[in-house]
Amino acid sequence: MMPRWKGKGSQAKANADPMSKIVSQLQSSLIQSETQGLLSSCSVLVEVDAELADLLNRSCFGRPRITAQEDKQWFQLDMEEAFYLCFSLKCLKVIGEDGYIKSNEELWDYLKSKKPVFPVSYKVYSHLRHKNWVVRSGLQYGVDFVAYCHHPALVHSEYAVLVLSEGDNDLNGRLRVWSDVHCTVRLCGSVAKTLLTVIVNSNNQGANSPSCLEHYTVEEQTITRWNPERSREDQTGPKNGTKKV
Amino acid sequence: MKKRRSSSGVAGGGDRRFEKVLEEIMEGEVDDDGGRLKMKPRWKGKGSEAKASADPMSKIVSQLYSSLIRSVARGLLLSRNVLIEADAEVSYLFNRARFGRSRITSQEEKQWFQLDMEEAFYLCFSLECLKGIGKDGSIKSNKELWEYSKSEKPAFPISYKAYSHLRHKNWVVRSGLQYGVDFIAYRHLPALIHSEYAVLALSKGDNELNGRLRVWSDVHCTVRLCGSVAKTLLVLFVDSNSQGTSSPSCLEHYTVEEETITRWNPEQSREDQTSLRNQTK
Repeated sequence: MMPRWKGKGSQAKANADPMSKIVSQLQSSLIQSETQGLLSSCSVLVEVDAELADLLNRSCFGRPRITAQEDKQWFQLDMEEAFYLCFSLKCLKVIGEDGYIKSNEELWDYLKSKKPVFPVSYKVYSHLRHKNWVVRSGLQYGVDFVAYCHHPALVHSEYAVLVLSEGDNDLNGRLRVWSDVHCTVRLCGSVAKTLLTVIVNSNNQGANSPSCLEHYTVEEQTITRWNPERSREDQTGPKNGTKKV
Repeated sequence: MKKRRSSSGVAGGGDRRFEKVLEEIMEGEVDDDGGRLKMKPRWKGKGSEAKASADPMSKIVSQLYSSLIRSVARGLLLSRNVLIEADAEVSYLFNRARFGRSRITSQEEKQWFQLDMEEAFYLCFSLECLKGIGKDGSIKSNKELWEYSKSEKPAFPISYKAYSHLRHKNWVVRSGLQYGVDFIAYRHLPALIHSEYAVLALSKGDNELNGRLRVWSDVHCTVRLCGSVAKTLLVLFVDSNSQGTSSPSCLEHYTVEEETITRWNPEQSREDQTSLRNQTK
């Protein structure tokens, strides 16, 4: 499935300014400014200057929040975004409610306590981000994430991502019954996205520390509708086809 | 997201509150306290409402019942369906009462209908106007039919309780699979009225057989899809009250709790008092 660019020139813009480069700039800028985020329930809040705000927006990490402070800009990061910056990119430190900087292990335990499915959901988030996809919350589309191949202003999101886990702890209870499969595929179709299920296997590594993540394996599957009438005569059809159910 | 609850007693006893609300909607009553399920049925075209009132679903189902009894109807069990050979009169009534789907066969003179498990069991067990025949050619007792249905579909007791609960109240109940739910419930014939509820049958208690709505993403997914096809999500929580599932007689001790789940839009509800009147909560 080819990316659907929004308007003329978007594709050129995106090619001139690849996401990998923007994220790299964000990483450098965060390291230089020794930015620290504040842990607040299920989010991390960061205070940023204009340059960082611009980089966060362009790389699609966090959401700007309006505050009473006019001169400062605050961003709110989701759990997966915050942990990606801390653990994978090593460019952010997070301070707990007690005022102390949390180690990656401490942060990991904290996030797991807030969201039991966090290890698996983080694996999927980081898996896609490593490949330079922009990954945002998919809750309003009834899925876990939506993935764009560049900034949402330039391109329509292609994939609606559901996190599934293999093995005994199937914490994210989706697509267990046919009605859910139909519901999700139909909704994704109506918002022009392909359903991408990313199945994480913890390979019995458990989830004690973030280092377990490297031994998790990931399998990607797209689920689309197969229309017998459409596929029958047109020979060029299956060439661009994704795996169908 | 707001939920509206109403509880039901034992099978057949009906839910007086739910029925009362339906009556009030049918009579077009407008309530100003903003606390009612205020979905007016959307009839298709002029005269539909009158047509429906002249020909209530209860009467149509009763005619089907009589016809099936007279013809000593028999259905063939085949995997998850029951196939019935129907003459012109029975075919007509099946269509009118919205039971089963007609199937095209090579036999020109005979009409075959395919019933879903819940539909077949309703005709056999609740209405007692149909008998099922197994592959061995013998008539299946209700208990045998129950065991068979359960083996094909472990969640059958729950889904059947939900199906019969609505059918008893004269709703038309059809498969909702294409809408990502268990059933679609219509007030009358789909030709006359837009369908109103997308139904999910969930079990209360420890054996959670139908794994829906366990996580927020599923709730959002389902509510959004229902919204896009103009239906309200109706969740029927079936509690087996530890009665088990060993025989269909367990069903009468199951209780059903109805909840609709709709989106609450803070902007819409804020200022306009009149728009509240026509809105569901």
